[in-house]
Amino acid sequence: MLKSWKLKEIVLMSLFAVVFGIIYLLFLHVGNIWASLIGPIAYEWLFGIWFIVSIIVMSIIRKPGAAVIPETMAAAIEVMLGNAVGPRLILAGVIQGLGAEAAFAATRYRHFNLGVYMMAGAGAAVFSFVYGYLLGGFAALSTEYVLLMFVIRVMSGAVIAGIGGKYLVDALLATGSLRGYAITKRDAHA
Amino acid sequence: MINRMNPSVKFVMITVSMIAMAFFFNPWTPLVFFMGVVLIQLLFATVSWKTWSLMMLPFLLGAVGYFWTTLVFGNEDSTLGTALSLSFRVLAFSSLSLLFVFTTKPVEFILSLMQQLKLSPKIAYSILVGYQFLPVLKDEFFQIRQAQQLRGVEVPKSPVKRVTAMRHLLIPMLAGAVRKAERTAFAMEARGFTGEGDRDFYRKITIGRADAAGSLLILVLLCGSMAAGWLL
Amino acid sequence: MRLQSVMHMRNVISLQDVSFRFPDDEMPVFEHVNFDVRAGERVVITGPSGCGKSSLLYLLNRLYPENCDGIVSGTVELFEQPASMYVPGEINRRIATVFQDPDSQFCMQTVEEELAFTLENMKVPAAEINARIQKVLKETGLESFRESVIQTLSGGQKQRVATACAWVLEPEILLLDEPLTHLDPVTAQDFVKWLKHLHEKGNLTVIAIDHQVDMWGDFFDREWQMVSGKHLEPALIREPLRSGEVAIDAKELAVEPIVSPAAFTLKKGEIAVLAGPNGSGKSTLIKALCGLKSTGGSVSPERIGYVPQSPEFLFITKSVREELSFGGGSGIDEVLKRLYLDEVSESNPFAVSHGQKRRTAIGAMLCDGRPVITMDEPTAGQDAAALRELENLIIARANEGVTFLIATHDMTFADRIADSLLLLCAGELSGPYLPQTVWKNHELLERHHLLAPSGGESCDQPHESFG
Ligand SMILES: Nc1ncnc2c1ncn2[C@@H]1O[C@H](COP(=O)(O)OP(=O)(O)OP(=O)(O)O)[C@@H](O)[C@H]1O
Ligand SMILES: Nc1ncnc2c1ncn2[C@@H]1O[C@H](COP(=O)(O)OP(=O)(O)OP(=O)(O)O)[C@@H](O)[C@H]1O
Ligand SMILES: [Mg+2]
Ligand SMILES: [Mg+2]
Repeated sequence: MLKSWKLKEIVLMSLFAVVFGIIYLLFLHVGNIWASLIGPIAYEWLFGIWFIVSIIVMSIIRKPGAAVIPETMAAAIEVMLGNAVGPRLILAGVIQGLGAEAAFAATRYRHFNLGVYMMAGAGAAVFSFVYGYLLGGFAALSTEYVLLMFVIRVMSGAVIAGIGGKYLVDALLATGSLRGYAITKRDAHA
Repeated sequence: MINRMNPSVKFVMITVSMIAMAFFFNPWTPLVFFMGVVLIQLLFATVSWKTWSLMMLPFLLGAVGYFWTTLVFGNEDSTLGTALSLSFRVLAFSSLSLLFVFTTKPVEFILSLMQQLKLSPKIAYSILVGYQFLPVLKDEFFQIRQAQQLRGVEVPKSPVKRVTAMRHLLIPMLAGAVRKAERTAFAMEARGFTGEGDRDFYRKITIGRADAAGSLLILVLLCGSMAAGWLL
Repeated sequence: MRLQSVMHMRNVISLQDVSFRFPDDEMPVFEHVNFDVRAGERVVITGPSGCGKSSLLYLLNRLYPENCDGIVSGTVELFEQPASMYVPGEINRRIATVFQDPDSQFCMQTVEEELAFTLENMKVPAAEINARIQKVLKETGLESFRESVIQTLSGGQKQRVATACAWVLEPEILLLDEPLTHLDPVTAQDFVKWLKHLHEKGNLTVIAIDHQVDMWGDFFDREWQMVSGKHLEPALIREPLRSGEVAIDAKELAVEPIVSPAAFTLKKGEIAVLAGPNGSGKSTLIKALCGLKSTGGSVSPERIGYVPQSPEFLFITKSVREELSFGGGSGIDEVLKRLYLDEVSESNPFAVSHGQKRRTAIGAMLCDGRPVITMDEPTAGQDAAALRELENLIIARANEGVTFLIATHDMTFADRIADSLLLLCAGELSGPYLPQTVWKNHELLERHHLLAPSGGESCDQPHESFG
């Protein structure tokens, strides 16, 4: 898989992972303060933020892996920055990234539009929820409450990561700095 | 000793322990585990306790949130015990993570992932590039913010607007990141980097006795806390 | 003499009828290029900005065409073999490159790690790496930087580290892309001396790109003009300063510990240049002046315009016109026209050319009604035509009564436009001086790492040196 990647694409993923890794950490702290007041559900509506780098990088590079790898890298950067969520973030990153990747893989990396981005955001939400269910012990909570959490998270994934990601990528594309990447290729919008 | 452990071994051990923890809903297992981790930290690792407490604090709050959520919204089977279990689990995870974070040098972690867990050098070195750019990007962030303040961009009061206003900062930063990425990748290739795995590393990260002892210690603690769950 | 012996050497680089274009562009970047370099030659490539000099360099070290899927025709021969015969990485052991941007050409944190990374790429056995690092640090005079974190070094120091990383490969050809751009004049001169020294030690071929060949003295055997320079617009006439009105008055301005308390005044319509060594605090002083750094003392007026070295940092909106009207000013159309921005007024400010970006930033400051505009290194990396355009722009606005304070390392530029010079050395500000008096004062020049513009006298005192 890595053979088809140019080094500049991998380094781009890494630098985006740094920028978003910092943002992720920022929101982790915001989320934590909320969580102490209203419990774990506080994170749910914010969750989409943590999926956004997958969608942005995938829509720029458009190759298999462009969703999982940056999400994992962002998690690794968060760990390197030293925070108390620590190594388990890496696992979370892989799983969230796979969720987004699944949506793009389902279209065989052919379609890149708002609908697919929202699917990817929702996909990341579903995957991460399953992971959170196990590690966070959601099994101990009542079904209605868990369902509510699930719905909020999926919505957040679709809206914040899907729509927000598309919005940021479009703004970045308009700056003209993305030439030389798949997103600007002539047949990219076909 | 924990400081001298190989980062990959430590990483694997910690991940395994966390996954194991996920199957226990009694309060004792995570509590004993949490206390054990703190004990290990006290005896076998050098840690700044001031920073430790500071970083633990938000998770303590998070644990409180977990506690009452489980009490109020728990399902039929859940009890005070489960509620305590879930909040202790938050503490156990956090202490374990801090154990890792405080005793591992970030660069060595990545080098070790490459040398022991066979992470592709292309990815490993790209992460290191990102890591060394951190201070640069941070500087840039402040510069952009200052320059835009000079132009009269105000920080909106409402939190939602504040998040959308981050776009003004994010776009110049991302555009800069694209440019930096290309230039750095070119510089790496111009220095003969091809991403092949057969390099002889100048800085070798090794596995030694500390790893055997450390892993054993964590395993004993894991079993002990599970036993505590059954017995108590 | 030297040239003659070079004549008999083989060609290490040979381009025949080479054209190159990016896959999404209709027009080629360059066409029908013929270019030969013999072993041991020292060649400088010149040409206007955007003519494809860097792209050509990337063809020589085989970063292109693979990295951009570019389309090449004609033959590119390196060491008498077609370039495409080499496997990735192979040619980079013989042809080393120092890139233009000192901030983004490193991958590791410290100098030692960076050198080790380079040697690992060459498959040097780990046991030999330490000795090789020691050797190259000694040769390049960087021994004391072995443990330094690269990103904390000044631009000039980074450029030296980059050269050391190229040198450790023991290359046959060294490619340099505008290596002097961010260096103060004396440091730049030292860099050239040091390179000369390296060249004399082995049979090295050097190919450099630069806009200002004067700075290199007699270093090059020949200059190769890729495309002849654009026609320069005629220089505008600077009207003599008439008013004695004070436009900016700074008192006790200080940023501890970088800039010591400083005081100065500038008159309405005055053009002042701020100069001094790398790391002396020019950028910091300018930021303090504009209220971007907390400072003791006072500055009047309060609202001072600021054009950072990367003008993009200022941009907030989606078009050039909106950018100008952001501050709520009036007369947008007129300013657009006066700054030749009307044809790009609806374009995204990030997507226009570098010169247009800077004009947009200046326009935004003018429309905000800021009577004083400060600029941080606007001359870096500019070709002759762009420099003339910048000079004319500044002179025209100054003639209208706008006051400028410009930080730059380019003394030729300073000599052409400055009414006065402010000098900064280790955070101590002095001046304003008349430019002519500074050019004659050896002591001042030496202390501030300056060289009189070509034509004037130069100082040859000993100073901190390379290697
Ligand atoms: N990846 C790319 N895709 C499309 N066009 C590009 C790409 N990179 C550069 N260009 C364009 O190719 C032309 C040549 O660029 P190049 O950087 O080689 O110029 P240059 O002569 O080095 O200029 P300067 O003196 O400003 O550094 C420019 O017009 C540039 O905008
Ligand atoms: N935010 C900061 N914190 C600490 N030190 C700083 C900061 N910003 C700059 N410095 C230091 O202050 C000194 C002056 O920096 P400044 O960027 O003002 O220099 P300069 O004169 O503009 O140099 P150059 O000609 O290389 O651009 C440098 O030694 C730099 O390392
Ligand atoms: Mg160039
Ligand atoms: Mg500066």
